[in-house]
Amino acid sequence: MNEWLVFLLLFLSPVVSSIPIALLYKSKEWTARLPYLSVFGIFISVLMSLYIFFTFPSELPDCRFVSPYTWIPGTGIDIVLITDYLSRSMGVITALIAFFIAIYGLDYMRGDYRPSWYWFFFNLFTASMLLVVYSDNLFLLFVGWEGLGAASWGLIGHWFRDDDEIAYVGVPGRKVGPLEFCWPPSFGGWRAISTIRFGDVPMFFAIAAIWAFAGGNLNISEIAWGALFTKLGAAGTVILMLMLLMGLFTKSAQVPFSEWLMTAMTGPTTVSALLHSATMVAAGAYVFIKLTWYIQPWNMHNIPGVESVYVIVLFVGLVSGLYGALAATGMLERKVLLAASTMSSLGLMFGSAAASYWLPKEVPGTGMNLALLVAFWYLAVHAFAKASLFLVSGHLIHATHTRFSVGNLEFGKKMKATFAVTLIATTFLVGMPPFTAYWVKSGMDEVMEHLLHEGMLLPLILLLATSLTYSAILARFTSLNFIKGEKPKHEHLEGGNLMRVGYLLMASILFILWYLIFKNKETVGFVHAGYASTSILVGIAILVAYVGALYKPRISSLSAIGTFFNDRMYLPYLNDYIIPKIGFFVAHLVHGYGNRGIDGFFNTKVMPGLFGLISRGIRCIQSGYLAHYIKVVLGVVMMILILAAIGGVYLYP
Amino acid sequence: MLIIPLVAVFVAPLLKPREASHLTALAFLLPFFSILYCIFGGCPREILLMRFSPPIGDIYLNLDFIAHAFGLTICLVSAMVALFALPYMEHRFEEMELDKNVEFRRYIFIYNLYAASMLWLVYSGNLALLYVFMELMLISAFLLIYKYGYGNRRWVGLLYLVWCAIAGVLTLAGFVIMAFNNNTLALNAIMAGGKGVGMVAWAFIFGGMIIELPVVGPHIWLPWAHAEAPTPVSALLSPLTVGLAGYVLLRIALIDYSFIEAYRMPILGYAIFSSLYGGFSVFKQTDFKRLLAYSTVSQMGYMLVALTLGPFGLLGVVIQYMSHAFGKSILFSSAGGIIAVHHGLRDINKMGGLHDSIPAISNAAVVGFLNLGGILTVGMLGEFFILRGVVDTFGIKTSSLGVILGVVFMFILSVWYGFYTLRKVFYGKPKSTERLEISRYLYVPLYVIGIISVLLLFPPLSTVLIHGLDMIPGLGLGVGGVVP
Repeated sequence: MNEWLVFLLLFLSPVVSSIPIALLYKSKEWTARLPYLSVFGIFISVLMSLYIFFTFPSELPDCRFVSPYTWIPGTGIDIVLITDYLSRSMGVITALIAFFIAIYGLDYMRGDYRPSWYWFFFNLFTASMLLVVYSDNLFLLFVGWEGLGAASWGLIGHWFRDDDEIAYVGVPGRKVGPLEFCWPPSFGGWRAISTIRFGDVPMFFAIAAIWAFAGGNLNISEIAWGALFTKLGAAGTVILMLMLLMGLFTKSAQVPFSEWLMTAMTGPTTVSALLHSATMVAAGAYVFIKLTWYIQPWNMHNIPGVESVYVIVLFVGLVSGLYGALAATGMLERKVLLAASTMSSLGLMFGSAAASYWLPKEVPGTGMNLALLVAFWYLAVHAFAKASLFLVSGHLIHATHTRFSVGNLEFGKKMKATFAVTLIATTFLVGMPPFTAYWVKSGMDEVMEHLLHEGMLLPLILLLATSLTYSAILARFTSLNFIKGEKPKHEHLEGGNLMRVGYLLMASILFILWYLIFKNKETVGFVHAGYASTSILVGIAILVAYVGALYKPRISSLSAIGTFFNDRMYLPYLNDYIIPKIGFFVAHLVHGYGNRGIDGFFNTKVMPGLFGLISRGIRCIQSGYLAHYIKVVLGVVMMILILAAIGGVYLYP
Repeated sequence: MLIIPLVAVFVAPLLKPREASHLTALAFLLPFFSILYCIFGGCPREILLMRFSPPIGDIYLNLDFIAHAFGLTICLVSAMVALFALPYMEHRFEEMELDKNVEFRRYIFIYNLYAASMLWLVYSGNLALLYVFMELMLISAFLLIYKYGYGNRRWVGLLYLVWCAIAGVLTLAGFVIMAFNNNTLALNAIMAGGKGVGMVAWAFIFGGMIIELPVVGPHIWLPWAHAEAPTPVSALLSPLTVGLAGYVLLRIALIDYSFIEAYRMPILGYAIFSSLYGGFSVFKQTDFKRLLAYSTVSQMGYMLVALTLGPFGLLGVVIQYMSHAFGKSILFSSAGGIIAVHHGLRDINKMGGLHDSIPAISNAAVVGFLNLGGILTVGMLGEFFILRGVVDTFGIKTSSLGVILGVVFMFILSVWYGFYTLRKVFYGKPKSTERLEISRYLYVPLYVIGIISVLLLFPPLSTVLIHGLDMIPGLGLGVGGVVP
């Protein structure tokens, strides 16, 4: 098959297949049937991504596809796609997850009041994400990137009526200081796009700067990054990369831009699963991994500025990791807990990818950097596991009519498949031996241990603290929903078969990944690290934390600190209090003084007054009295004489 | 093809409202397609109309890509707003208790004159001709506000006329100085003559055009005029008319960039301040149309910023004009839709949850704000070129950080106020969930504009258009060129 046809089908089939439902929003009958068409569109993308995975070349320069049709000739803005190791794998991950969640969504969104909006944005999102994944041209990538932002806004605010408390985040009426810690969907949407845009524009600037300094080239795999950084100098490099990272950090909800991800949980659960755990928020980490892949910072120790950038990313990532995990320990809302743990995982991805700077050694036989591989594989495992957990919590919300964790063992026995998926997803994700993530996490341990040689102990400590806390929070999630939680007030257990299909399929991929770790040649490093004694010790510690939290999910003596964590360590104040206060203060200055002054004073007082004054001046000359006129004439003559005298003195001294 | 709108000016008043609106739309769509044909297939660069003795020089039509880009926008928006205006103006005449058929004739005559003069303005190759159409445009807009506006419409009309007359006189003074310096007003002859513009003439034109643009300070007429004009007029006034000041500045800048270079920092600082001022003002507005008017101040700040940023900035001016025109015409029309459907509702505090009753208009407004923010629409290219202009002009150093952050924040602010407004107007708890049946004229034209604005980002439209603009000396990468 022609490769451009494959790409066209990959990107366009989700969008095209969702146009009918977007247009037919008035017909109830059709909106019940057309979602199947949308899901089919995503299915085509899955097929195409698999086709690319198995048949397309993976090595440069063959894996770079430059479109025969130039977008804007001579500018470097072109349609250039790439199917390297990262893109081809991430493409399959994205398409598969979107497809499973779409199947689940057929059940979950049945009877919703806004199906056309939902499916249009869901599919637009899938296409945008695939574009981000496969594009090599930074401008093209940014088009997809903006699509992610727009779709995220649309889907978080999907239930725009704000009429159902079950879609809120926080407890209505609960005040912490002057702020009510409760956010409706329409607010969640606004907060998401405003935060994301805060990072996107700097990122766009960085892309424009790269464009200017790399000689009009925008292709990630072609830019001579070393020459670019050398040309920019230390300060220039740091400014450029920080601007770029603003986009990645806001998208991936790293500290201090994490708040939007928490309130993004006001969206439907399918959206939380697809956008806010598996793909969109991971796009930030993915793009960072991809850039680092081609920047190859481990060869740049002599270029000033690069090290500072990687130190910043390392610590922002690891601190976000710990922050997210700690915040989750106090949370009772199912989805918000998972959201906090998601940001924690994303932090670990950033951290380990950044560690590649200090890790020159390559995985033998592949030429890939171990730290980047660890980050990417963790992204993959996390995506499937976390998406499963989100889908589970969506089903639980339907079954119990509450978004807070409830459910005892009796309830767990009634929802066997759900319970089993939760157990699998949590144990496979936290890094418990010998399941999937254990091997990846062992690799991560090794990477951070390597930093000890560079004199950095803190990263390893942060990683270990995060891992243990992380294990505890997911165990707590399992325990509070299926084992030791309160008995649910409502139980609505019928139906939901497509939902079960969705998360069973999702969790099953974890087994495939497990198999692949042992089969693939690039992951031998993980297996090797997994047999190291330190990794086994860490694994046992994680196991202990998991079992402990499973046994005792809530510690009442720590409830004060739990509340502090539940309130995200008061970070909402930054978003909802400090920044709006400043903004509205400026707006008040501008409007209250500027505009009022202009309208009330200048427009209605000064201008008419001035005209009145001139008019009166002119009229009072024309009084009709001869004496008056004579005075005027004499006055003018006098003035002329005086001027002439002065002029005479100056001109002819 | 450019003659058609002029003919329509006189033919349309003879017809009934519906036919007249359709004719108007057609009269602007035909040039729209012929411009597209020109862009893809090419057409003569210049058409000579008349020869005058110096200092006026040749009167000719200038058919370059800049004119095409502006012309394309004007044709599309004018055609679509003409359709939108049909139910809206009928509603307005009823409200004013005027005879619908008689009044519509008068209205459509002025409307066509207004739109056609804008179209001719951008194709004028001679500054004298350009000035004539500029005045024609101002007077017809004034008449529309004066006759059919809201509130204290006569006062507002006069306010508008006076300020724009000042702008016009200043610009004319600048043109006259140019005429005597160069002995001609034909653009091609001035370019060939190489005498440039001269600082004094530049200062006059600049002074006049920043009143018309407007930036903060002389912007005082704008919130009134945009808010109180009948909505179809706002939907041309804000997107098309005010931005044409940017067009004039662009033309002058392409002849001679020295003024901008000499005063780059003050102009840039002023423009960023103006844009932020407008942006922050938006948050406090309670009248939807007035809110959009302040957003225009903010967006026009973009254009002035872009003007100072070298070749890529100038390319950004063109794209920014298009993107703002598409976005703002959609938004004013959706504000008009709310007025028409909800019986004069303009107060934002009384809105909220409107999406349920008018989903079609609400979704159109989303597209409008996406345009203003430069998300997935042609505005993205505009922002990209402006940012590139910043890099080219100032580099990436700690000393240029102030300018960089200023421009970046300016772009951020548009999305902030845009989505803030969307939430306040359309989302939240609805007052009623009943869906209202509304005329198709009120939303289909908006989607046409929206779709074109998205298509313009992607090939093949952007390929030919941006490439064509790029080929003009002084714009973008340019070839050769006047601008260093």
